[in-house]
Amino acid sequence: MTIPATQHARPLSAAELQPQLPLVSVRDLKVAYGGGPLVLDGVDLDLFPGEMVALLGSSGSGKSTLMKSLTGFAPISGGSARVGGYDLTNLRRGQLRDVRASVGQVFQQFNLVGRLSVLTNVLTGALHEAGPINVVGGFSTAHRKRALELLDRVGIAHKAKEPARSLSGGQQQRVAIARALMQRPKLILADEPVASLDPKMSRSVLELLHAIARDDGIPVLVSLHVMPLALEHSDRIVGLRHGEMLVSAPTSQLDAAALDVVYQHDDEEGEGVVDDLA
Amino acid sequence: MSTTSPDRAGRKAPPPPQLDPRERERLERAFNVPRARFLLGIPVVALLLVWSFVGAEFNFAKLGEGAVNMGEFLSRLFPPTWDKFDTIVALLIETLQMAIVGTVLGAVLSLVVAFGAASNIAPKWLYYPTRWVMNIIRSLPDLVFALMFVSAVGLGPFAGILAMTIGSIGSIGKIFAEAMEAVDVGPVTAMQAVGASKRQVVQYGILPQSAPMLVSYTLLLFEGNVRGATILGMVGAGGIGLELTTAMKMYDYGHLSAIVICIIVLVTVIDQASAVIRRRIT
Repeated sequence: MTIPATQHARPLSAAELQPQLPLVSVRDLKVAYGGGPLVLDGVDLDLFPGEMVALLGSSGSGKSTLMKSLTGFAPISGGSARVGGYDLTNLRRGQLRDVRASVGQVFQQFNLVGRLSVLTNVLTGALHEAGPINVVGGFSTAHRKRALELLDRVGIAHKAKEPARSLSGGQQQRVAIARALMQRPKLILADEPVASLDPKMSRSVLELLHAIARDDGIPVLVSLHVMPLALEHSDRIVGLRHGEMLVSAPTSQLDAAALDVVYQHDDEEGEGVVDDLA
Repeated sequence: MSTTSPDRAGRKAPPPPQLDPRERERLERAFNVPRARFLLGIPVVALLLVWSFVGAEFNFAKLGEGAVNMGEFLSRLFPPTWDKFDTIVALLIETLQMAIVGTVLGAVLSLVVAFGAASNIAPKWLYYPTRWVMNIIRSLPDLVFALMFVSAVGLGPFAGILAMTIGSIGSIGKIFAEAMEAVDVGPVTAMQAVGASKRQVVQYGILPQSAPMLVSYTLLLFEGNVRGATILGMVGAGGIGLELTTAMKMYDYGHLSAIVICIIVLVTVIDQASAVIRRRIT
């Protein structure tokens, strides 16, 4: 199947036209750990309000590193990365915490504190706003109301008092999403959020993330391993291999065959699939 | 932005690392001759053991000969005499009080010190000195601290409490620090990712995860302190230890037997109670 990258099958939607300024702007990003080889090599990426972008790539392709580099957890060796007005290559003292506070993160293993209640786990999303009263473990009534509203939104307010470890994987991931929303994020990064979930739960979590992107105007960058899920639940797909960006196109212009290039075995490289895209 | 990159797609990746063929052959064999370092290690460990047995004058024959004396000693302990039961109970209560205060103070101080000795919390400049101080404290027996505090504050339970408190920093402080280091790093990462401060990461990410271990070790410390308090009494640091030593020196075996039985009952009750609590929290 041939899909010209610049040819559109239908008129572009407002979201696809992307009239807004990008909230995340990455240019020629290079990342290397401790003087080692480049894990990311010349990645360009823009994320616009309201869009859900799926990040595809094999294990070790640099998906997690790209996400970490957007929150200061990976060292930027070259290029530029701007998140919500912050230049990550030139942060002033104390700004890193502000950047992190403005980016909601959802993890593969949920990363909840199992012994704490679901409500407290969600409240930890507001730690950057917490005042001195927080020293003795209290959050304000406003915070608690907001956390319960978010639990209503993700459909597990009835579990608010239960310890997080007593919930199923899908429910725990919903708590993690509520925690991310508690931050009032400008951007949500979800690093393989459905890798530990069954297909039904996976769809439900991705639908929730897509709805958040659409309804709240928060860009969501989600890394996935399952191509059909990416095709079904994203507005745009970015494909990485060996730290390089091979694909970046609206989902409507791509199909599974077009994305094979991202997962192609090294010995098959350069054959067939890439030509289909050209 | 709508791009694909055929040039980059065509680039060859470096070949994946291979397993050494000799190592592969060895891994495939059902039976392997142990490695030379393992074969050399066995006689070294055996020699070390023999050296230690000889140096410590460990002698099974002597133990057999002494069994008769031991039996005679034990026979003198019966029947126990209960005419000083009130004294025993009063001193046991004092011992228990010493253990409670020593444990609470020791646990609180150990927790504070443990923050400095946990590598995932403390900066390097604090981590190493704290560990050194804990090592020094741990290398000194509680009896030495007891003698030191008896000479400082005089005979009585206060000296014993101080000895237990300081002694526990070395032992339980290290265990507390290691419990905090062993927490799941995922929630800690999540806390850092929401922009939490160091204090908030400890409060919401590390302490809740390590709390069951901290409580469990505190209960173990309490059990140890109840037993320890009986020994500290022997150097005049309060509790039932002094009465125990006096009974032995006076050859008052009936009274000694009653004291030992009471200590066994107290320690067993505390052990059982703390085991139940530990089961519930872990």
